[in-house]
Amino acid sequence: MDPAVTGGKARDRVRGLRHLLAALGGAGILTLALAGCGGGDTGATTGSYGFPQAAQDDKAAITVWVDADRTKAADAFKKAHPEVAVQVVTYDGSANGSNSFRTKIQLFDRTGSGWPDVVFSTQNNDAAWAAQRGNGKQAYAAVLNSGLVPQDTLGKFTAGALNPCTVDGKVYCLRNDLAQAVLWFNKSLFDQFGYRVPATWQEYQALGERVAREHPGYIVGTVGDAWTPEVYFWSSKCQANDITGPKAVTVNTGTPQCRRAAAMLDVLIRNGTTPNVSVFAPEFVTRYSGKVLMMPGPAWYAGAIFNNPQSLKVPAGQLGVAPPPAWPGEDAVTGNVGGGTWFVSSHSKNLKAAEAFVEFATTADDYQVAVAPGYPAYGPAAQKWVTKQESSGYYATDLQPVVTAGASIWSGWGSGIFSQEAIWAKTMTPAIAGGKSLVDLLPAWQTAIKNQARVDGYTVT
Amino acid sequence: MTVVDETAVPVAVATARPAGRRANVMGYGFVAVYALLMLVFGLLPVLYAGYLGFTDDTGRFAGLANFTRVAGDFRFWPAVSHVALYLLVWLVALVVLVTALAIVVHAIRIRWLGGALRLVFYLPGALAGASSVLLWLFVLDPTASPVRPLLRLLGFDSFVQVVVPGNLPVVFAVIAFWTGAGGWIVIMYGALNNIGAEVIEAARVDGASVVQIAWRIQLPMLRRWISYMCVMSLAAGTQLFVEPQLLAQASNAVVPNDYSLNQLAYQYAFQQNDFNGAAAISLLLLVVALALSAVFVTRGGLFEKG
Amino acid sequence: MAAQHTRSPAGRLSGVSGWSGRAMVAVVLAVFVVFFAVPIVWLLLATTKSARGLSTGNPFTPGGAGDLSANAEQLFGFQDGAVVTWMSHSAMYALGALVVTLVASIPAGYALALTPFRARRLLLVLTLIVMLIPNTALVLPIFLELNAVGLIGSPLSVILPMSFFPFGVYLTYLYFSTSMPRDLLAAARIDGCREIQVFTRIALPLATPIVALVAFFSFVQNWNNFFLPFVMLPSSDGYPMQVGLTSLLASTPAFNPSSAGSQSVQLPALALATVVSVLPVLVVFLVSQRFLVAGMTAGGTKE
Repeated sequence: MDPAVTGGKARDRVRGLRHLLAALGGAGILTLALAGCGGGDTGATTGSYGFPQAAQDDKAAITVWVDADRTKAADAFKKAHPEVAVQVVTYDGSANGSNSFRTKIQLFDRTGSGWPDVVFSTQNNDAAWAAQRGNGKQAYAAVLNSGLVPQDTLGKFTAGALNPCTVDGKVYCLRNDLAQAVLWFNKSLFDQFGYRVPATWQEYQALGERVAREHPGYIVGTVGDAWTPEVYFWSSKCQANDITGPKAVTVNTGTPQCRRAAAMLDVLIRNGTTPNVSVFAPEFVTRYSGKVLMMPGPAWYAGAIFNNPQSLKVPAGQLGVAPPPAWPGEDAVTGNVGGGTWFVSSHSKNLKAAEAFVEFATTADDYQVAVAPGYPAYGPAAQKWVTKQESSGYYATDLQPVVTAGASIWSGWGSGIFSQEAIWAKTMTPAIAGGKSLVDLLPAWQTAIKNQARVDGYTVT
Repeated sequence: MTVVDETAVPVAVATARPAGRRANVMGYGFVAVYALLMLVFGLLPVLYAGYLGFTDDTGRFAGLANFTRVAGDFRFWPAVSHVALYLLVWLVALVVLVTALAIVVHAIRIRWLGGALRLVFYLPGALAGASSVLLWLFVLDPTASPVRPLLRLLGFDSFVQVVVPGNLPVVFAVIAFWTGAGGWIVIMYGALNNIGAEVIEAARVDGASVVQIAWRIQLPMLRRWISYMCVMSLAAGTQLFVEPQLLAQASNAVVPNDYSLNQLAYQYAFQQNDFNGAAAISLLLLVVALALSAVFVTRGGLFEKG
Repeated sequence: MAAQHTRSPAGRLSGVSGWSGRAMVAVVLAVFVVFFAVPIVWLLLATTKSARGLSTGNPFTPGGAGDLSANAEQLFGFQDGAVVTWMSHSAMYALGALVVTLVASIPAGYALALTPFRARRLLLVLTLIVMLIPNTALVLPIFLELNAVGLIGSPLSVILPMSFFPFGVYLTYLYFSTSMPRDLLAAARIDGCREIQVFTRIALPLATPIVALVAFFSFVQNWNNFFLPFVMLPSSDGYPMQVGLTSLLASTPAFNPSSAGSQSVQLPALALATVVSVLPVLVVFLVSQRFLVAGMTAGGTKE
């Protein structure tokens, strides 16, 4: 419709509108023009780091997306580098497979601007998409091993730590921590009850049954979190997430390896020693403070749950750590729960500062050793972390099992684009809450994984 | 504040109209901005969604391929049934409770009490969208809830138990009812006021009980409003998004982020990068909303010529 | 409300005879009053408690001013005062859209009601149809459209779609066609006023109530809009408060386990955020309650 208006007074009335429309059109054209040079493939020069980069400005402020827990990393960085302007934005860290990282980046790809310079994700499967071109835009993640991050630094990460970040030989993110699962236990309670720390899952289950009889109310684990499969099924070599190629996955939850873990959990869920409660839920704290006899779980449980005044607040000298239990006749392997990843945006106008940030966050003692709750993925920091934790006098045992477990993560569980955690939370957690048995649920779990993988374009076998 | 006059809408406006061509141009001038907005944000999006829904990502005509693909998605029919179930629970609650409450409040003779009740019912309407969902997260979380004993009585010890998928239609219906019922109660109340007092009085003299009056006189008078409420609520309810979206965030993904159709469309667009699929879902939702409004415009009588 | 109540000595309920019936009705009413009021009352109380007091104390004992200020400090300290930014964005979007809405719909409603022009019927029918489409339904198509012209992420991508408010046009149309003294307009025309002067000098001053009503509905709807800004503004720099709440929720350990950290938001602070996010609307609601109820019942009842 033509907004032409006749009549002198009417013109006055519409003048404001005209301005608005003019501004509108102008804004549209302007944005289009910007979209052309803001970081698309046009106008960007192929940089020295193996991807086209935007014009660099060493003074430009960087925007950093972190989850709430990683704000400490940002604070430590600001303290160490006051000269860099950092804008910190907290988001949910894509936790539990919410995929907020991915959906937001897709949106920025569409608008052609606004990408955060650095992103922390709690998940390990983001490199799978961040390394791919999307919407005609270059891959979001900057290649880190073509000169951006010193080779020397990359080389010092614990062996295998960067696997989830590596696509076709290129490294797209830096690992924050190794979230290897170990067996956390309360040494004081073990001594008091006269129990022995289980070395195999059989012993573990037997002990769970004993606890239910002798000390009801105490617990030996939980299945309330979305990473239950990564703790129990991954370490049982269950073939639920066998990523065989860039877009291929094999899913078979009917294997004996899957069934044994499920059957064990069924027994322990039924007798009340493995509640279906998230370790972060307030009710977990109120109900199980001082009642956790042992708990298989990732390394970061130490700082995030046991030695956290907001959480279980286990007093010093009680918490011990044991190697992950083994299935009989097999070597002990373990799973890992996240152990987040740091990405640098390939669209960043200040790659130097962004790189400095991720390098600091993953390797600097000021953060990884002094503050971080988890076991650093960066070798030198990990050693110092262990030394520091041991000398703190908090633990009742030495931390060698954590170090060993870090090198015994089973390789048959991959990092695909789809989130195993989201699938578990959606299909299994409510079913467990409804009293169904895990063994019976295995086929449904398999179907759900296959469905989700297909939606994400995987060839499923 | 002047009370808006509540009389019929005479369509033929015959008095003192500006004459002829000048008026025609004037009319266009006055509606220009609005017409432009209508074009850009009312008609174009629909057409554009239509274009995307029937083409593939290269822009070639794809027939119904997008629709069959979406309908074949393992998440589609669950989402449809989730939304349908929620609508069923919510609409039944709305029709029964809103009507009953309006009639009861209308029967109260103490002025301040009636007014206070209407305000209490209406006030939650101020908390819409994310705010109301957040409030209900508190109410439904047994650790913080003001109605903890009630939740415990129902056998809910943890937030996850409250939001297992089976309970969600009821949960969402409760939230939607809490937020939206008050406005409708006020509207029904106003409609009841338009029933002549002498009609009711006459019925009472004839010995009709309160229940009979409600059933025989007031309900038929309210019928159009009830159907209006249903259509509006139905159309709005198909668009369920913010409630499951926030619950997904708050329940550690136990509530999936593809619970409702609108969420699925969002997933298609921004996670799978499949804008054609997203447009297909949007179109389906739009057709439902449009069909409902068309039914209402043509059969509902609210807009019929006086 | 222009309710005509005949005072009858029979008491509170006209014609409900007997104590049992009356008691039953009273109980039902009480249940619903509790249902509607308790969450709001509790929410207001929750803002004055400590996190511990919230989960362990009696739900209906108020906390202290100290806790309230601590919660406020935590909330407004979140991401260096992001909440203030979000609130100002909300205000900007809602008010910006409000202005455009009024500029667009009041003249349009007037013209639809009182001036004949060729496309009038078409526009009226379109208005009625689009009015009944929930605004969420068009969000994704509008995103695609604005994306094509590169407006995503700018305030305009929220303000302009919000400004399209057919319901407001319909209300205005209704008002002008029912309660505008036409002789007055005719007299003005005979006095030689031009059309535009007739509108600005005669019609507009008489239309204050409808302008207020449209403004109210538009403001409330825009303020509470979630899906549109959620899709249009990917970056948290541009969030309005409603979308900002999701960020706060993501930083609340009780609802997002992995967020236990220095920047986390405790439940009472989240409750405070909820209150803050609806404060403007709540105030508007309370202030305009009387005329609102009148307005809401207008424009539709005719037998």
